[in-house]
Amino acid sequence: MDSSTASILVEVFFETIGYWYIIVPTILLGLIVGGIPGFSAANTIIILMPLTLALDLQSGLVFMISLYCSARMGAGIPAILVNIPGTAGAAATPLDGYPMAKQGKGQQALAISFVASCIGGLLTTIIALATMPILARVGFYMHSVEMIVVMLFGISLIASIAAQDMVKGLIAGFLGLMIGSIGTDVVYATPRGTFGILELYDGVPLIPALVGLFAVSEAFVIIEKRVIVNHDGEPKTPNWGDTFDGVRIALKRWVHIVWTSIIGLVIGVIPGAGASIASFVAYQQSRSFSKTPELYGTGHPEGLIAPESANNGVTSGTLVPLLVLGIPGGATAAIMLVVMQFHGVSFGPSLFENQPKVGYGMFMAMAVSYVIMFLTILPLSRYMSHVTTIPTIYLAPMIIAFTLVGGFVPREYMFDMYLALAFGVLGYIARRTGYHVAAILIGVILGPLLEKYFLWSLKKSDGDIMVLFSSTLGNILWVAFALSIILPIVFGMRRKRKLEVPAE
Amino acid sequence: MPSDHHKPPRQIGGELVIPILAVGFTIYFFSTIWNSPWTAQVSAFIVGGILLLVCAIFFVRAGIWLVRGEGTLGVGNLFTMDDIHTGRIGLLLTTIAYVMFIDTLGFTLMTFLFLAASMLILAKGKNAGFITMISAAMALTGWAVFIWAFDTRFPRGWFETTMKAILANG
Repeated sequence: MDSSTASILVEVFFETIGYWYIIVPTILLGLIVGGIPGFSAANTIIILMPLTLALDLQSGLVFMISLYCSARMGAGIPAILVNIPGTAGAAATPLDGYPMAKQGKGQQALAISFVASCIGGLLTTIIALATMPILARVGFYMHSVEMIVVMLFGISLIASIAAQDMVKGLIAGFLGLMIGSIGTDVVYATPRGTFGILELYDGVPLIPALVGLFAVSEAFVIIEKRVIVNHDGEPKTPNWGDTFDGVRIALKRWVHIVWTSIIGLVIGVIPGAGASIASFVAYQQSRSFSKTPELYGTGHPEGLIAPESANNGVTSGTLVPLLVLGIPGGATAAIMLVVMQFHGVSFGPSLFENQPKVGYGMFMAMAVSYVIMFLTILPLSRYMSHVTTIPTIYLAPMIIAFTLVGGFVPREYMFDMYLALAFGVLGYIARRTGYHVAAILIGVILGPLLEKYFLWSLKKSDGDIMVLFSSTLGNILWVAFALSIILPIVFGMRRKRKLEVPAE
Repeated sequence: MPSDHHKPPRQIGGELVIPILAVGFTIYFFSTIWNSPWTAQVSAFIVGGILLLVCAIFFVRAGIWLVRGEGTLGVGNLFTMDDIHTGRIGLLLTTIAYVMFIDTLGFTLMTFLFLAASMLILAKGKNAGFITMISAAMALTGWAVFIWAFDTRFPRGWFETTMKAILANG
């Protein structure tokens, strides 16, 4: 990095801090829209497009970036407190976040999540800034074959979830994959399993599935208890000590935050991949190489850190192909592209020569947003955790009303509300009879993507299945995938043997 | 060592619901792709085939439990009389009504009615005044944020139309 670039970065950093009056209210807005299923940063930027276009370029960028980052973090808050991920990117967060909330550690879990998100987001922003030319090439090397392996990394989480009852876990996961196959196929657009319903031709929409499986079914389950927190979980009142404990627990696991956020960054760079894939892959990898894999799913801090730092790593990753190549890495990045083009910004390598303040400004806006978010949101964890003490007779109807209507928002079809209700019934049956709803959701989210890449690969190779092992990078990923399955088993056996030795 | 002797038998009937749904759906899915191009079939046949296999394993396992007397075909883990007493059935009915009538009555009015009715059912009729107040506050906040401020296209009815006319005419 030469001295002129460094001086631009310093200048842009201080300029961005000057926009604190935009960043702080936008962070609060982002927390709200991120926390309600159906409202995402992308939706909100579209809704507020007239405002964004009316602002000058720098203010508009700061607004969009702050909203993007805070919505990503906001999605994790209801996931932890009431088992309802605000977006698909936070679908892995409740696996360990919600058990913590039920144990009366909601405040601690929020603090862990905020620290992991902010450090993960900040760190990956710096890495992305430093390695942009290299990262931008990742998208070129990741073809359909390589993406199949990336999807398999995420889907293999089903097997981990299924560990307690393998048959039931696999039934849930493969039912999810089957539901994810509903809709037209990607090559000839042949409708499959749609029951003749036109609204399903595009596939099963994710938000109604998320709302039904998590929110609606959870609302029907929690009414059995007076409050969400277990009886033995929380006789105490929220205090600052829990927040500091959460910060300490997260900081102690800084290595974990670093490597799971880098997973998010690399997956975020790949156009079309997203936060949901990143968080599932990070959770699975975190569990696979943990010394205490048996604690995952019971309220283990590492199980909360992994998806949260990964999905915030994705935010900086999606900016790389947008800025360097002009290829948006996701829906929000695509909307940013439209807004920036309206202001006459042209993308590509020349952006950093012609308008360096715009290019570097986006990363600086992200870095400053994460710093301000850390300072503003962390103290709020004490008050947010009160949600777990609201009587369920009030909480359950509110969850149902606001999430069901959230299911309507993305496509504005009344059908989607009925679909959310149907998924709610399925989720309720699954919860009551010991099937994991997260396994179903992983199938619904990743199934269509896996099929798409699989069919593209077969189509390109005229149906030759060996195409799956035809690329060097793909083969390296296959080996890594095999190792990520085998090594945890080997480590587990070694740990077991070590434990048995003293007994003998 | 505590004995498992008095442990109630497993309610396998409830546990069979999802595998039965899965098998039914998979067979229906196969029927829709039977004459389709291979691109529409390949993934579904692989995933559906594995799903049918694991369901078959579960049916065999359930059969063994039944034969050994370790389980019954009861659905007690899914539905009990407690579901009526706790208000779960009532909540389900109000939820169905919410989805059915929101398009006609609009978001604000239907949300108020749903929240009030559901909370009253769950609270067994207690605190009616507080529940009415909190339901109205939540519905109005929802209207103010999502419809008035953000102009999202939530279902609109009498209340939203009236408020729009009032706000338009100052």
